[in-house]
Amino acid sequence: MAKKYDAVVCGAGNSGLAAALQLSLAGKKTLLIEQHNLPGGSASSFRRGRFEIEPSLHELCDVGSEKEPGEVRELFKEFGLKIRWNECPDCFRLVSKWTDTGEPMDVTMPAGIDNFINKMEEYVPGSKPKMKELFELFQEVLDTIYYISSSNGNPDSNYMKEHFPNTLRTGAYSTKKVFDAMGIPERCQNILQTYWCYLGVNLERLGFVHYCAMVHKYVSRGAYIPTYTSHELSQAFIKRIRELGGDVWYNCRAEKFLFNGDKLCGVKTTLGDVECDFALPNINPDIVYGKMVPKELVPERQVKLANARAGKYGGRMITAYFCMDVPAEELGISDYSIFMQGTADSVEAYKGLLEGGDANQFAIFLCYNIANPKASPDGTCICSFTTFASPNDWNDLSQEDYFKQKQWWAEKFLKMLKEKANIDLHGHIEEMSVASAWTFARYLNTPEGSVYGHEASNWDGMMNRLQTLGADYPIKGLRPIGAAGPRSLGYSATYLTGQMMARLALKDMKEWEGGDE
Amino acid sequence: MALKIKVGLIGLLDMLKFKNMGKDREATIDAASNADIKASFPINQNAKRLHPDYQDLVIDRIKDYPEAGAKKFVFKRQGGGNPANFRAGQYLSLKLEIDGSAVTRPYSICSTPHDATRNGKVAVTVKTNPGGFAADWMLNNFKKGDRVIASGPQGQFYYEPLRDAKNVVALAGGSGITPFLSMAGAIAEGAEDFNLTILFGSRTLDSILFKTELDKVAKASNGKVKVVHILSDEEVEGYEHGFISADIIKKYAPKDEDYSVFICGPEAMYKFLEKEITKLKLPRRFVRRELLGVTKDVANMKGYKGNPDATYKLKVHQGTKDYDLEAMANETLLVAIERAGIKAPSRCRSGECGWCRSQLESGKVFIPEDTDGRRFCDTEDNVIHPCATFPLSDCELTVPGEYWN
Repeated sequence: MAKKYDAVVCGAGNSGLAAALQLSLAGKKTLLIEQHNLPGGSASSFRRGRFEIEPSLHELCDVGSEKEPGEVRELFKEFGLKIRWNECPDCFRLVSKWTDTGEPMDVTMPAGIDNFINKMEEYVPGSKPKMKELFELFQEVLDTIYYISSSNGNPDSNYMKEHFPNTLRTGAYSTKKVFDAMGIPERCQNILQTYWCYLGVNLERLGFVHYCAMVHKYVSRGAYIPTYTSHELSQAFIKRIRELGGDVWYNCRAEKFLFNGDKLCGVKTTLGDVECDFALPNINPDIVYGKMVPKELVPERQVKLANARAGKYGGRMITAYFCMDVPAEELGISDYSIFMQGTADSVEAYKGLLEGGDANQFAIFLCYNIANPKASPDGTCICSFTTFASPNDWNDLSQEDYFKQKQWWAEKFLKMLKEKANIDLHGHIEEMSVASAWTFARYLNTPEGSVYGHEASNWDGMMNRLQTLGADYPIKGLRPIGAAGPRSLGYSATYLTGQMMARLALKDMKEWEGGDE
Repeated sequence: MALKIKVGLIGLLDMLKFKNMGKDREATIDAASNADIKASFPINQNAKRLHPDYQDLVIDRIKDYPEAGAKKFVFKRQGGGNPANFRAGQYLSLKLEIDGSAVTRPYSICSTPHDATRNGKVAVTVKTNPGGFAADWMLNNFKKGDRVIASGPQGQFYYEPLRDAKNVVALAGGSGITPFLSMAGAIAEGAEDFNLTILFGSRTLDSILFKTELDKVAKASNGKVKVVHILSDEEVEGYEHGFISADIIKKYAPKDEDYSVFICGPEAMYKFLEKEITKLKLPRRFVRRELLGVTKDVANMKGYKGNPDATYKLKVHQGTKDYDLEAMANETLLVAIERAGIKAPSRCRSGECGWCRSQLESGKVFIPEDTDGRRFCDTEDNVIHPCATFPLSDCELTVPGEYWN
């Protein structure tokens, strides 16, 4: 006979981990299945020689200090997870070109709102009053998001009008539009645009609320990374889920959702059928509704939603990892993160990324040891480069040319670093690896290997999704989670979506139990 | 001063716009087509071809090398199409069912990447070894037309131009020549570009595995591949005598250029070479070893305090299934699992790749330090690699599923 669970979570990525733990904490018998042999999805690690390498996490947003914890630190605390956090020293260094003169720019922005504004004043004299205004607005916007999230998609509009009038007046516009309307100087915008890549959409199409909430969190609370890669985060979840009686099956894929009439009754997995009334697939909704639910049960709205999104998946990545046989200082590395951008205009940059190949003049360089001395053995350091992968480069690539394509990117990254920051990694590489769009597709099985779900832009931005939370889950008992969810993409956002969906599932369970009596 | 920001001309309309964000979204969705959802993608299909869950192969040809006690098994894909492409030096993990056991064995691919991508063939070579029950079983039983399940290509034992020196000195012993035959072939066909000097240790001139193939590929390589034979059991003119040593390496390595050393061979060779390699004073990044198969002699391992003759009870959970079996102290937990016929994942069998990563629910185990390739947090959390773990008591283990049947 099939095993029975209160809920089955499919996919142990961030959303799945958070959902499974939330359900376990509520005393629900929970099964978490994962197609790979370890948890985390992107939040993981891999070994090469004497190194353990972080595959994806650059800097976790919204952790905050012990004294002033952010939403993510609170979430981990609430979940009973102990993480060894390391603070990232600065916000970022940006090497690019000023858009007004085309001259080279090389700026380093510190964390902390006052520090950030003061430094901005140095680079862009006279910007202080506008920047202060902007950060005041940021704070209001952030408060709005917390309010809407805590209302589970049912905010009170009078309360909103009274407390968050500026959010309401700016919230429907793109980031660029609001910056312009506020008269933020062009050079400030050149600096403020840096983080757009973390959401994968240029600032002309990215909702203001979404972007400014993120910038505010990074600037006000700083960023953090765990000591032992993001596998430390994921494994902490697993440990806790198991302590609470949850089961975890690795190397197990969900194949179909099973229905009794129109009511969900189980999951067909590669390790056998499992009975459940609730399933939370941490799987892109296009796959869930396109492949895993019987066609006749898929509501027309979900079909139309998929077509409205027209396969526009969020960021696909290329990441090259380099394990160096000398410490960072010997290589002249002193920054944790260097954003190397051919242009400080996000619209132009985005265009280049979509085109791919030589048109892509964008990469983020990281040296983990600058924030975390234990990132690698003594006398060594680990660096990585990340950029976006264009389907142009990876769709029709032949199997034979694949390895050369990866090498091409690795060489390109090293060359960029030499040119932009005069740092040369050649001659000290002890281990290396390049993850391409194919690699992410292999490990995550997401459409096109995307790590950002669907592009969160225009009509499908975070705010729009939050406002239509009720409509996005038409099948009772089936709540897809992950980067395509209401809180949208990114490490912290996907944890929060997982938690939110588990809470809503718990609410459904309660109502159904009540109805049965 | 209270902040009052508006973007449009009239702030109130901005508010209305905000309120309508959800409605706008619904309107956009409603206006979209209701054509079938597209749920397959070229990038994913490409990734799957390169990294299949497993490869369903069939033996196309067997070549016997009686002088070396070896056979080459050439596979094609069941049902047509090409086997997965690979980096020369990578291995396949063969999945075998022998007398009720479900075992895996890693074998370096000895054919070239173009053999796979252009001729639809991939080959491994199996050499007899004393007590090696799977190798001998394959040598005695495999015949043309047999179906064989293999993993996708695995491992990091390949040339990486940004990491390795342009000159590679390969140190090979016995069947450890196989990855280098593939690398040499890849250089000759243009799939790889580096200079490869193979120092190959054999017992006698007549017992050299792949002698003809190596000569042929060296000739076809435009001077990029050189092969030097070192014979341990006889002195023959024109051949080196003895074991591969620091002196021999120095003799054939480039004098004024950097070189990397790649090593693949039996355990005894690694032990011998350890001191020799130290003498070369190479930076760590220029020394790479292929480890396939963990040492079996637990009783003599550093730090082992168990009773190697004991037998323990082992409980295994996999998905909906539970098993009760026996585990011998002098065998890895993976061997116990395999003997019971449980299909559980494993690939390198050296503790390195982590494919068999499992949760130890209870019990005491011994994990040899040299082959402990676990992630740091796994070491804190009783997560083990059964292929490199020996039981010290009764144990309970949850293992991952396996995708092949």
